[in-house]
Amino acid sequence: MTMPKVVITGTGAVCAAGMDPRTILQFVLAGKTAIAPIRQWDTTQWPTHLAGEIADLNPRALVPDRKLHKLIRRTDLVGLYAASQAIDASGFVAWRDALDPAAMAPYNDRTGAIVGSGGGNFQNQYDFFPLMTAANGDMHAFGRDLSDNVNPMWLLRTLPNNVLGHVGIQYNLKGTNACITNHSVGGTLAVIEAMEALRAGEADRVVAVGHETPIEPQMVLYYHRVGLLASEALRPFDAARDGSLFGEGAGALMLETAASAAARGAAVLGEVLGGGYVGEGQGLLAIRADGDGLARAIAMALEDAGLQPADVGMIVAHGNGTRQSDASEAAALRTVFGAAMPPVTGFKWAFGHLIAAAGILDTVLALEALKVNVVPGIATLHNLDEACAGVAVAAAPTVPRSNVALILCRGFAGTNAAVLVRAA
Amino acid sequence: MTAARRRVAVTGVGMVTPVGNDVVTTWNALLAGRSGGAPITLFDASGFSTCIAAEVKGFHPTLVEDRKLLKFANRSHRFALEAAEQALRDAGIRPTAADATRWGCAVGTGMMTADYDDLAQTHAHCGNSGEIDTDGLLTDGPANDPLVFCRGQAAEGLALLTRRFGIHGYATSVHTACASGGQAFGTALKLIRRGRVDRVLAGGFDSMISPIGISGFCLLSALSPDNATPQRASRPFDATRNGFLLGEGAGFVVLEEWEMARARGAHIYAELAGDGNSLSSYRITDSPPDGDGPIQSMHQALADAGAVPADVDYINAHGTSTGMNDRSESAAIRAVFGADAARVHVSSTKSTMGHLIAAAGAVEGVVCALAIARGEMPINANYRDRDPDCDLNLVLDVPQRQKVRMTMSNSFGFGGSNSCIVMRHPDEVDGRGPDGTKS
Repeated sequence: MTMPKVVITGTGAVCAAGMDPRTILQFVLAGKTAIAPIRQWDTTQWPTHLAGEIADLNPRALVPDRKLHKLIRRTDLVGLYAASQAIDASGFVAWRDALDPAAMAPYNDRTGAIVGSGGGNFQNQYDFFPLMTAANGDMHAFGRDLSDNVNPMWLLRTLPNNVLGHVGIQYNLKGTNACITNHSVGGTLAVIEAMEALRAGEADRVVAVGHETPIEPQMVLYYHRVGLLASEALRPFDAARDGSLFGEGAGALMLETAASAAARGAAVLGEVLGGGYVGEGQGLLAIRADGDGLARAIAMALEDAGLQPADVGMIVAHGNGTRQSDASEAAALRTVFGAAMPPVTGFKWAFGHLIAAAGILDTVLALEALKVNVVPGIATLHNLDEACAGVAVAAAPTVPRSNVALILCRGFAGTNAAVLVRAA
Repeated sequence: MTAARRRVAVTGVGMVTPVGNDVVTTWNALLAGRSGGAPITLFDASGFSTCIAAEVKGFHPTLVEDRKLLKFANRSHRFALEAAEQALRDAGIRPTAADATRWGCAVGTGMMTADYDDLAQTHAHCGNSGEIDTDGLLTDGPANDPLVFCRGQAAEGLALLTRRFGIHGYATSVHTACASGGQAFGTALKLIRRGRVDRVLAGGFDSMISPIGISGFCLLSALSPDNATPQRASRPFDATRNGFLLGEGAGFVVLEEWEMARARGAHIYAELAGDGNSLSSYRITDSPPDGDGPIQSMHQALADAGAVPADVDYINAHGTSTGMNDRSESAAIRAVFGADAARVHVSSTKSTMGHLIAAAGAVEGVVCALAIARGEMPINANYRDRDPDCDLNLVLDVPQRQKVRMTMSNSFGFGGSNSCIVMRHPDEVDGRGPDGTKS
């Protein structure tokens, strides 16, 4: 049995650096950063106040259906927006909708959606504060006065799987599906699971999405308290790096079997060649210094794709800017690539760490970069850290060694993912 | 194509449920239909339109006595650690340094973030105006406590399980509301088939019996308001059903590649044989009345298992006891099974233990494995009044005892995800019984 080839027929992205993949890449190539003082609340008194916020986010521009707005949150808006971009770009829905209605059903049943989502948040729970104030510690009054004080749709707004449900309803997708709430690797894992679903014949098309808007006060404070946030800038692999910074947004890819794309004459943007994913099992925040998990994930992805390290044209590193993650990532890269390392870059310095959306947005941007034959530089990099020696990063753009990109992604619970894509 | 495919065995089971903190106690309660419903004791729920639930009772993590680890565990994580330990002990195998990377972990996890007590503290400190005072957060206890942060992370359950049991392969947590547990089993099945891992600790855990969790469901009028009769509140498929009974808990299984399980002489409860997975794409909270969506997941699961409806002896229904779900699911079962719908035995064990939300599909998967291994099917408790829209062959009054060749477990979630899991009796796989002897 030969596995079907998995091709990419549409991409979508939104973050602080732009509202579509091309614009975001141009922003990154210009060496600019969209990380700026937080505007969603007053951080004058705060020990940390930087993030990559989407400025003047307009819900109606992201999701035209106004009825939806009271059922979903900011994170769902960006997720649905990126998903729509990818689906629209693929031309699939327009093609299906031109079919005879009776002929549509099999296409609906054979089109899936797999989403990486941030899971719970803290801010949504503050919706109960007016009720708690009114009840003044009296739980009986809390229960009695509940419906006078809290939006009846509160639970639905809180669902981590809203993007999955609503993208399904909007486009009438009824196939295989999942919502992965696995911290930062969620979006990357959505790509890997979509690829596997297509290979296994569970679907002919799957839209993969990752979305998250982590910039809320209590979340920012926790990340600061556990020492994960930078003071001034996100400087991956730099000797002076001191942490990460949040971004927000989403990325999406429309994946299809090559046969599905060919059958409707769709333009192919690239191919997902393989993936690898493992955990280190050291706890929520702990990671191994030797990069064991990431090295295993990369080796697995290469084997899965039937490629050698030398075939990789560029690497998009996780590069979150924390002391430990970057150093262990460098160790993993040295383990796999040794002295023959292709050009390495990362994107978080330009618009922040999008958590569940980070890896899939990086995948979308990697394709965009390969298309114009460039490895963007890391503009905040001044001095490569000794602990990151051998990692082929540069402040200025360079040229990829081939049209294959390796995208790396790491998350809480010691999880490590690697994806290989080839640009058309 | 299926000839070369790796098969998956269920070799260990564990449960912490509202009707028992272990497998045997839970199973006996399910056979007898001894409901876990009662007035809520975890907080004063007297003011809520529904003040009953199926709480896990008298629970103390006894198998995982790691106080440092438990500091990082919220209520649902403790259920998970306990049920997972039960499953690993039952399987008689656990990850070692040599094979840690060949073990995976796939869990369906709940959606709650901060515990209510922490939220109440934050409210008192910097939310009393009804709005959050963001500067006040800087001096708030819970908002600066890394333990509160860790316990509230969606990946924390996964982190605790993989650390505790030393699992270094594929590790994932999924959330599709009430379909989460079933989808975790489906994910685990695929991982072993792909050859990525040989063994998976798979399960689900949840606890929404808190002021916020109950609020969310009360606001949607999803819970049975039968506060005076909590033990009868959950009555799936009954004409008078009026909402679900909220439960909590965890269910876990150890899954192994079939030949490896046989080679080590493992007791095999069942083959995890097929997974079906669809989206209803209808409405966020409702299932389509005609069963569209669940029909596809059931068809897929059977096809994935290489089976037909005539092979199935037992369906553990999603059966939430809401008007909409039970009607839609009945329509789906009739559509898929046709004339066989009159023969296949159906029960919803939510009638006894309530709805465990993200853990439901996992616990009910365990129930199916037990039904096969023990040759008995738990009853659909509390059924009295026939609903012509739910015309199923329900297991009523006493357990149905017979050889169970194949089971099906349905789980449908808010958001429209439908999961269907099919299990097969071991001797239908290789002509050998659970213990490996020729039958």
